[in-house]
Amino acid sequence: MNHAVAVFSPNAVLNKNAVRILIAFQVAIVILLWIFSPFVLLPKPGEVLSAFGELWEQGLGAELITSFYLNIQAIALSTVVTLLLAYATVMPFFRPIVALLSKLRFLSLVGLTFFFTLMSKSGHELKLSLLVFSVSVFFVTGMADVINGVPKEMFDLARTLRMGEWRVVWEVIVLGQIDQVFDVLRQNAAMGWMMLTMVEGIVRSEGGVGTVLLDQNHHFRLAAVFAIQLTILLLGLFQDVSIGFLKNMACPYASLTLERK
Amino acid sequence: MVTAYSLGKTLLKIDNVSLEYDGRPILSGVTAEVRDIVVPGRVQGQVVGILGPSGCGKTTLFRIIAGLHAPTSGRVSVNGFDRPVMAGEVGVVAQSYPLFEHRTVLGNLMLGAMKKEKDSKAARDKVMEFLNEFELADKYNLYPAQLSGGQRQRCAIIQQILCSEHFLLMDEPFSGLDLIMLEKTCELIAKVSDMDDLNTIIVVTHDVTAACSVADHLWLMGHGPGEDGNPAAGSHIIKQYNLIDRDLCWQPGIITTARFTDFVREVKEEFRRL
Repeated sequence: MNHAVAVFSPNAVLNKNAVRILIAFQVAIVILLWIFSPFVLLPKPGEVLSAFGELWEQGLGAELITSFYLNIQAIALSTVVTLLLAYATVMPFFRPIVALLSKLRFLSLVGLTFFFTLMSKSGHELKLSLLVFSVSVFFVTGMADVINGVPKEMFDLARTLRMGEWRVVWEVIVLGQIDQVFDVLRQNAAMGWMMLTMVEGIVRSEGGVGTVLLDQNHHFRLAAVFAIQLTILLLGLFQDVSIGFLKNMACPYASLTLERK
Repeated sequence: MVTAYSLGKTLLKIDNVSLEYDGRPILSGVTAEVRDIVVPGRVQGQVVGILGPSGCGKTTLFRIIAGLHAPTSGRVSVNGFDRPVMAGEVGVVAQSYPLFEHRTVLGNLMLGAMKKEKDSKAARDKVMEFLNEFELADKYNLYPAQLSGGQRQRCAIIQQILCSEHFLLMDEPFSGLDLIMLEKTCELIAKVSDMDDLNTIIVVTHDVTAACSVADHLWLMGHGPGEDGNPAAGSHIIKQYNLIDRDLCWQPGIITTARFTDFVREVKEEFRRL
């Protein structure tokens, strides 16, 4: 099929080269639209690049490291907390607790700051606990859905192979769903960046990219705001690709039945 | 001429099994047994076909025989044990041939083999022996998602044979198969049953012709009066057929004969009355 027709055909699958060309084309269109945009308030690419240079000289690199370190810590901690809680739902005692935690995702972070401030010894600890909480409530919801979605026949299969119930949990829930853990982690780690700038805005100790972003926003320096947003976007993409790479390494079977790999 | 045979010890006994859900009877007084068929001079396993219309409780009985579901009353026992069957004693091959997708073929089969062979070298040898026997030796390193439907079916069967005590329950193994695959599945069932005198395969299906072509005994399940004439609220085994006595099994090409066709017609007539 002609590629030009294929890109608009339902469920069409393109080869890798065609996908690369398509992405390059779409990126070029976005850049052109950006350059020739009639909106006067929208900073041009050159202005954004120049703002990035200035921000870098003012120490954006250090702020990024602070934020990246905080985010990695939060992702690691929330992964541990979430997996422990989600796997604990195999025991009926923990199901209502996890269900309640899952409902806490509707709460606003601003309203929780005072409570977490009382429990924290430093600004870093406060930011970390706010981030871990805000990511974990979403992460645990996703993981509980993954575990609840395991079909009965997989439990039956394990039992017919004479596995005890803890071994069933290990084989069916822990090992059997590990590929989906990566997927849920990827979504929630991305959400971590969104929360991070919010948390760094609420708690300004240590600085961080969120603090810089809010400062620039406050002074209406749109080029700098765009530069920071694009930097966060690139870091997020790197994080996304890294988690995807880890998933492909650990679970090569996961994409075998997919049409779009 | 009817093949000379005798019936040995009871291998599997379903003793007055009933099941209710929220007070609603699903199964009522299901009673049947599978006995060891002894044919002089050859290895002969047992194949039982459980036939019944959709929704008659075949799969529920299947789960009870497998030890995956406890009946409300009565019990299923195997190998003469004076206790209910436990999960794992009866191998189960579900309709979709589930396998652990995160394990390779070898990994899946080792899970079954390690339950009987405590030494991993012996277990691996046993697995490779089965893989050779079932023409899957070159697939040992593949993931289940990379297998064809037929290969997956064989893999699921081997996994359960390696772990169970000579019993294999198959849920709708003929469902959705084309003619060639159906014949191959029948051959596969015969092959597995004849690997050991004690091998017993119970095929749960609503495909009358396929069941008749592969089984030595048929159990017809449904609602309606039982063999004692009393009506029952839940499903039970209404009629049993012995195909050996009718000289309708263990013969290549039997399905093309008129008496086989007549028998299938007879079973279908009974089936329609269920």
